[in-house]
Amino acid sequence: MLALLTDYTVQTVILGALLLGLTSGALGSFAVLRQQSLLGDALSHAALPGIALGFLVAGSRSLPALLAGALITAVAAALTITLLLRRSRLKSDAAIGISLSLYFAVGVVLLSYVQGSAGAGQAGLESFLFGQAAAMLRSDLVVMSVLALASLALLLALWKEFEVTSFDPVFAASIGLPVVLLDAVMTAMIALAVVLGLQMVGVVLMSAMIVAPAVAARQWTDRLDSMTILAALLAALSGVVGALISATARGLSTGPLIVLALTVITLVSLAFAPKRGWIASSLARRRARRNLHEHQVLDILQGLALRHDDAAYLSEEGMVDSALGVRARTTLQQLERQGLVERDSHRPEEGPHWRLTAEGREAQGNALHSGGKA
Amino acid sequence: MADVFASIPFTIIATGALVGVAASLLGTFLVLRRSSLTTDAIGHAIVLGIVLVWLATGATSGPVQLLGAAAAGVATVLLADALTRTKSVRTDAAIGLVFPALFSIGVVLLNVFARSVHIDAHTVLLGEIGFIWLDTVSIAGLQVPDALLWIFVVTILNLVFVTVFFKELELSTFDPALATAFGLAPAALGVGLLVLTSVTAVASFDAVGVVLFVAFAIVPPSAAYLISDRLSHILGISSAIAVASSVSGYGLAVAMDVSIGGMMAVMTGVFLTLAFLLSPRYGLVAQELRRRADLVLGENRALAVHLCQHEDDPNAGEENVLTALQTHLRWEDNKARKVVARCVDGGWILRDGSRLVLTDMGRAAAIEILQPSK
Amino acid sequence: MSEAKIHEPNLAIHVEDLTVNYGSHPALWDVDLDVPPGVMAAIVGPNGAGKSTLLKAILGLVTPTAGHVYILGRPFGEQRRRVGYVPQRTSVDWDFPTRVLDVVTMGLYGELGWLRRPGRAERERALAALEQVGMVDYQDRQIAQLSGGQQQRTFLARALVQDADVLFLDEPMAGVDATSEAAILSVMRDLRAEGKTLLVVHHDLQTVRTTFDWMALLNVRLIAQGSVEEVYTRENLQEAYGGNVALLAATPQEDRPLGT
Repeated sequence: MLALLTDYTVQTVILGALLLGLTSGALGSFAVLRQQSLLGDALSHAALPGIALGFLVAGSRSLPALLAGALITAVAAALTITLLLRRSRLKSDAAIGISLSLYFAVGVVLLSYVQGSAGAGQAGLESFLFGQAAAMLRSDLVVMSVLALASLALLLALWKEFEVTSFDPVFAASIGLPVVLLDAVMTAMIALAVVLGLQMVGVVLMSAMIVAPAVAARQWTDRLDSMTILAALLAALSGVVGALISATARGLSTGPLIVLALTVITLVSLAFAPKRGWIASSLARRRARRNLHEHQVLDILQGLALRHDDAAYLSEEGMVDSALGVRARTTLQQLERQGLVERDSHRPEEGPHWRLTAEGREAQGNALHSGGKA
Repeated sequence: MADVFASIPFTIIATGALVGVAASLLGTFLVLRRSSLTTDAIGHAIVLGIVLVWLATGATSGPVQLLGAAAAGVATVLLADALTRTKSVRTDAAIGLVFPALFSIGVVLLNVFARSVHIDAHTVLLGEIGFIWLDTVSIAGLQVPDALLWIFVVTILNLVFVTVFFKELELSTFDPALATAFGLAPAALGVGLLVLTSVTAVASFDAVGVVLFVAFAIVPPSAAYLISDRLSHILGISSAIAVASSVSGYGLAVAMDVSIGGMMAVMTGVFLTLAFLLSPRYGLVAQELRRRADLVLGENRALAVHLCQHEDDPNAGEENVLTALQTHLRWEDNKARKVVARCVDGGWILRDGSRLVLTDMGRAAAIEILQPSK
Repeated sequence: MSEAKIHEPNLAIHVEDLTVNYGSHPALWDVDLDVPPGVMAAIVGPNGAGKSTLLKAILGLVTPTAGHVYILGRPFGEQRRRVGYVPQRTSVDWDFPTRVLDVVTMGLYGELGWLRRPGRAERERALAALEQVGMVDYQDRQIAQLSGGQQQRTFLARALVQDADVLFLDEPMAGVDATSEAAILSVMRDLRAEGKTLLVVHHDLQTVRTTFDWMALLNVRLIAQGSVEEVYTRENLQEAYGGNVALLAATPQEDRPLGT
């Protein structure tokens, strides 16, 4: 394993995956909170024509040209979505789907044109479909890190403006913030994050890099800042893991492996996070129900004792069952363990009888202390 | 008859047209239900279905594939739905989580097991009509008639479904609550829609690949939705657009030597743009005309109201005069003259020397504003 | 236009000719509103009368077809710092990861300006505002865990923290539990006592007389405005609401004071 880390390509890949993860995790948090989860999908598919255009303009596979092209068409796609939403009666799902598929179609057409005319370079372009980490160059890394750091710096600088605009755009407008402009900047930054990740994860799967880290992080924290940081870290982690596996096993596309790592992390988060996780909340629900049942059973025993004017009245378990509406045995046992009730089986043919203990009576408040006279 | 099938253009155009019709028949309902992106999810997830079926049975097309993929498509939507219901994840994010995960599993399996077979992820994504690295002549072999046959069957299937269940689909799309009350089981219809969408996606992947399938499913119905309000018309118009896109797309693609499938999809976009701009009811041009008309109406009303409010005024001689309009309504001289001329022409006011007098029609218009009826 | 455009400085809110059109349908027409300083003013009218639109148009959230707004003598655009807004609760994503204290602190973002982060001073001010609305104990609570009334009080605190002179509230007590209603009303009264002006879209005609001292009746046009005694007449109500005014409590004995 250690030998791996000293390998030049592997180092490049890990660094690239780190950058990809940090930006897509951080910006994806905002995308998801603003309910624009699938925007990432549209942006990544819309990057395809830009990649082809960049290649055509530059004449070769020059990463800055490809990325610039991708960013331009991605932003154009976002603008198209806004245009469709604002000026027609199409709804957001249709607008996103239209932009996604049409820009991608243009990309397919351009790609075929490139294939027809250019010759050798196009193989490199195809790697953008599913990502091929091994194809990344050190020089690519320089470009990527500059862009990544710039966008993270911008995020930090405009943090509170993005926060309030995402949470309550109406209020943000009322305090004079340029909401439309901020939205545009945020969209451009999400587009940049998407474009940065394309080389590693590919066009098709980039949307997962935007959505999954945010969803996973949200399960662990209730604060925006920790959620964003955690999302960035989880995305980076998945990126590194996926990239490493891909680098070691030839012929496995990087993108799917990263996404699978991310999916595992997300599922684990959804299931096991404290408080919000499925297991935790199901346990909490069970506990609440148990508490409720315990209170109800204590009330039932007390009520029966009062009716019969006998603090030590023994209630037949069947009666408690029917009063509770479900079988009371487990609840009674739990209460017994807590010392609040005790059982009496002196008439075995009639099944167990139960009554409140002294502690139980006290817990219920003093209606039975005097031996029954209320 | 066999000659027709030997004609490459015919088979290609026919396949494309049928994909378009089959997809848009179902897509119409998905767009109207705001579930356009289910096509995206299904389209990507069926890759897993295709791979699993191939691993299990060795089949790469045919009814088994159709069913297997249908199952995968439905499973995707059901999984996303289940995820949403846990309340941890929103609907859009749920989709963005599930389909990349399933797609990734599919691609990894492909990478590992299916290196050489004709199902490679690339083909699945871009389809064979669009796979221009192959000589298009070879398509005239067995594959197009095969794909053509299956897409034909699926088109008939969809046509039958939409015709037989037209009323139920209509109601459950526009008023699901009412449909349930009528016992029309909108949920079952929804599942039926999903199954057929998945089946159509598989039948299409041979021809156009999954992403272009999304274009065919969403774009023509969206264009039709911008043109008409009637469901039956929308279905008809979108089918017509699908066919027209197929024909024109083929022609242009051959002329420019680019991806045929891609060009067909791009043409659907062209038709959408035309509808977006020129639709007599909802197009951009129509909107602008309406906006101007509203502006004009607003100005006319302002004049009428002003005159009406000062009619019984002793100063009416000063108030209801052209020059007074400039001070009171803050209109420039030109604008004031234009509005007055319009109102005179429209029969709202009369000139009495330099005074402006309301006619009965003008007064009625003013009163409408001054005393809005509830 | 750089010289100060002072116009009606003795009015807290001065609106002229405000007209808002949605398509060809006027939501507000030629509204002239003059609200004196230091009052608790209600805007009432039937549904669809344009009450929320009026607030939004004043605040620049909706573009009017015509009209001008002056706050304390100056155009609205120059007076944002002196204005606070408590919108209706519905526009917010309640599952957003943010606590009560964070929401209130957001009220200061306009004042902080670009690049500055909220620090200790801002936190103190936010806590003070929470104290005022009785929500200090909830400062670390996730907003999703709050009741409707608590959410509303949080929004009120967010407006309070801005230390505005003129506050706009859109149905602040609609659908809110009794405790919160009392708390909100108490804060509003305190603000008035401090000399602030409040303009409130109020949902309940019945309680206007016991709560507010100034009112405006709106139904696309402004029907009447002034002190509550002057305006709350059968004739005015009839013109604003149309239909059967007998259904509305017009006699003092039938009014139920709010907040008791």
